Amino acid sequence: MTTQRDVQAPEVYVHREAGPLRRAAPWLVTAIVVIAFGALIYLLARDMAGRPPSLTIYRVKNGWAYFLGFVAVASGVLALTSLLGQKLGERRSGKRVRYLAVLGDQLTHLFLILVVLVALYPLFFVVLAAFDPRNSLYAFPNFQLPTVLGRSGILPSFSALSAENFAKLFDGVNIPGWEIALAVLAGAATTVLIFTAVVRRVRKASEDTTPVQRWATRLLVAALAVLVIFIGPAQFTGAGTESKFLLSVRNTLLVSGLTGVLAIVLSTTAGYAMARLRFPGRFQTLLFFIFVQMFPVFLGLVAVYALMYGLGLLNSFTGLILAYSGGAIAFNTWIYKGYVESLPESLEEAALVDGATRWTAFIRVVLPLSGSMLAFIFLNQFIGTYAEFILANLLLTGVEQWTVGLLLKNFTSGQFNTKWGIFAAAATLGSLPIVALFYGFQSYFVGGTTAGGVKE
Amino acid sequence: MTVPMQREQDAAHSARARRLRAPEGTRGVLIAIVALALVMGGAALVAWLLSGAVAGVFPKAPPYLILLLFVPLLLVFMGAALRALPWLGSWSYLLPALVFLLAFTALPIVLTVNYAFTDYNARNLGVGNTALKTGVTLSTDRAKLSFPGALPDDAGTVPKTLSQYLDCLNPICAGESVVLYDAEGSVPVIASIASLSGQTLTLAAPVAPSFVVSDATRPNRVRNVGLSNFRSIFARASIELVPVFLWTVTFAFLTITVNAVAGLVLGILLYNPRLKGRNVYRTLLFLPWAIPTVISVQMWVALLNQPYGVVNKALGLLGLAAVPWLGDPLWAKVSVLFVNLWLGFPYMMTATISALSTISDDLYEAASIDGASRWEQIKSITLPLLRGSFTPILLSGFAFNFNNFGIIYLLTQGGPPVAGRTSTAGATDILLSWGFNTAFGSNGGQNYALASAIALIIFVLTLAISLVNFKVAGVFEEARR
Repeated sequence: MTTQRDVQAPEVYVHREAGPLRRAAPWLVTAIVVIAFGALIYLLARDMAGRPPSLTIYRVKNGWAYFLGFVAVASGVLALTSLLGQKLGERRSGKRVRYLAVLGDQLTHLFLILVVLVALYPLFFVVLAAFDPRNSLYAFPNFQLPTVLGRSGILPSFSALSAENFAKLFDGVNIPGWEIALAVLAGAATTVLIFTAVVRRVRKASEDTTPVQRWATRLLVAALAVLVIFIGPAQFTGAGTESKFLLSVRNTLLVSGLTGVLAIVLSTTAGYAMARLRFPGRFQTLLFFIFVQMFPVFLGLVAVYALMYGLGLLNSFTGLILAYSGGAIAFNTWIYKGYVESLPESLEEAALVDGATRWTAFIRVVLPLSGSMLAFIFLNQFIGTYAEFILANLLLTGVEQWTVGLLLKNFTSGQFNTKWGIFAAAATLGSLPIVALFYGFQSYFVGGTTAGGVKE
Repeated sequence: MTVPMQREQDAAHSARARRLRAPEGTRGVLIAIVALALVMGGAALVAWLLSGAVAGVFPKAPPYLILLLFVPLLLVFMGAALRALPWLGSWSYLLPALVFLLAFTALPIVLTVNYAFTDYNARNLGVGNTALKTGVTLSTDRAKLSFPGALPDDAGTVPKTLSQYLDCLNPICAGESVVLYDAEGSVPVIASIASLSGQTLTLAAPVAPSFVVSDATRPNRVRNVGLSNFRSIFARASIELVPVFLWTVTFAFLTITVNAVAGLVLGILLYNPRLKGRNVYRTLLFLPWAIPTVISVQMWVALLNQPYGVVNKALGLLGLAAVPWLGDPLWAKVSVLFVNLWLGFPYMMTATISALSTISDDLYEAASIDGASRWEQIKSITLPLLRGSFTPILLSGFAFNFNNFGIIYLLTQGGPPVAGRTSTAGATDILLSWGFNTAFGSNGGQNYALASAIALIIFVLTLAISLVNFKVAGVFEEARR
């Protein structure tokens, strides 16, 4: 899917000087962007000018000046250490090291550390709030505390942390022994996977999976599948909605897993036919797939709702999965088609010569070769479905059918009983599976950014 | 004697060969489309008829029975089609995907287009008008239905006669229908009316013996209203459609620009092979992308709270006043863009890094031999070469954010409200969330038809954006190969 549109002719290169407008264009665009940002900041500052200070916020007068001072001092210190680094580097390597290059790297580090702090502090704060039974996401700060960070309330007091919020999520949940055993088994498999991954990272071993990892993955998937299928609403006897958390995780995993499997079943067969078979109507069907892919399902929300109402599938996982299935086909078919086209055709031809039918060639030859693509399709669909809110919100009405997103929304949308502490705990636990998948299969997503240029 | 037989055999042989080989060109396409339409349409029709028959015998039969009946029927019909036209074999790979696409994506689109020209809303949803349900008694021959009590009033007007109550076109309601419920009220049964006298209806056929009638009501009618939904949208276009559309475009454009700039800067900084610990930064900055948006957006609602949120507490440390992030029309827009930046920059950063890794190092080497500075290298090598892989990402990102309803709904629910507009079109509402609020919002009046009309407008816009998108990404060329 590259966009090599201006293919250069392999003739002699003729240099053409760009016109003055063409040369000025980047600067013009930059100027417009800078002016627009300046205007926006001016507008926002003017908007803030008349507002009274809030009683709940601890303010440090001219704190921004301190911050700028800190950045200036830090840059000064870095300027000195860069000098040191330059001399050290020159002595060690014997080559000339440019001072500005060293300083540039040091300042880059400073900038990146600030970016990481700003980007990740919210997450750190939510995880802390999950362990804080006094609801620090929404707390009135204590102005008497000794440190500035404590007084402003951006760091809760660490002494009061406890697992109370988490305990409430598991209130009144009955889990029979065999389920606990399976969960322990799954946990052990996860530990093995993490351990082997870390060992490989440290040893810088090759990317091939070892048999131990393969068995651990199989064990993990099997244990999780059995758990997800057999955990049911009857086991959750707690009074509040928060005690249904584990059930909502199970519901989300069930819906996402089944949608992923459905996506694989539907898109591999279609993608294979598109890639390898030539039949009348193939191009038209591909166009139809592309056309349908343009419209996200929730454009037809009213109709989907009416359809599921008519089929009596409101508030059922079947209805939700069917509603997701339409959106899962076109894109995945497209990328699987591209993948099959990249495989050598000679393997299938050999199988066909040996008397296999097209279908057996597909099942026995092509499918076993496309393991990584199947994993990508499944993961992409699984993660997308896990994070979906709108359709689930529309179609699932009963607490016992809710997915994680819906349950979290329930914690925060009540007018007087917003349970932010419990929300933080549930958010932390609920995002763990997806975060684990993302980091476990990082390479798929890094590769996917440029592979699937058609869709986000 | 032998020659004609030979000829006949040849003819039979070539006929079989012709059946195995697909007809060429447009004719083949048309035959395939007609055959598949017959297979799928026929299976759907028979499933519909059968499920209707089953529902007549067992009124409690679930409505999704039609899906269960459809699958084996489809297999039978496809088998028959394959026997007649063996060259359709390739289509059996596509059939499952095609059925799902038609049923759960194409059908909703068609239905939406259809609803846009009707007066469909929550009051006439479903078979019977449950708001006007009233108790009835059935005669012993199960064919006469009497309405003993006073008829319920319909939006303030008390119907005088049974014919008015049932909304009949003729005074004795001949040929019209009435909807019956049992005590549970879950399964409506439609019965057609033969005649009407006073407070008693005579049904065309007796009610099935297994069904215990308890209540009755009039059937819901969804009427065709032509273009009046569009007329009411365009009548208020200057206060709703145009501002919402402009914000949708601004939102999508600014989001993608800001995210791309942030991703490019971070990506270029992190691709620098001299930088120590760049993998640590990459791994850490990857995290906002890894967290499911449905969770992280709700997290930001707490963090951006005006009196207690940690963002304002941190700004207080810098000496700034508490910003009304989600409560002020202007600031709510800033918040949406800011949260979308936080959600989206890791994707752009990763895309930049993987696009940069495709650029050959020789180019940089040659440039540095020629004495080009780092900035000149970025300006004349990196950015021009990134354009190729970034254009499709930017365009698809624009199309995605144009309909990125999840973040708007979870962060601000479209609010805060703007004076002079209906409450379904708030300050941060994009077209799609405006349509959603109209259909399902708590104060949207559940006007499904109006929402469908809005969706139809979005269809047209999305189509235009996507066509440009696919043209640039070369999708059509790839499909033709």
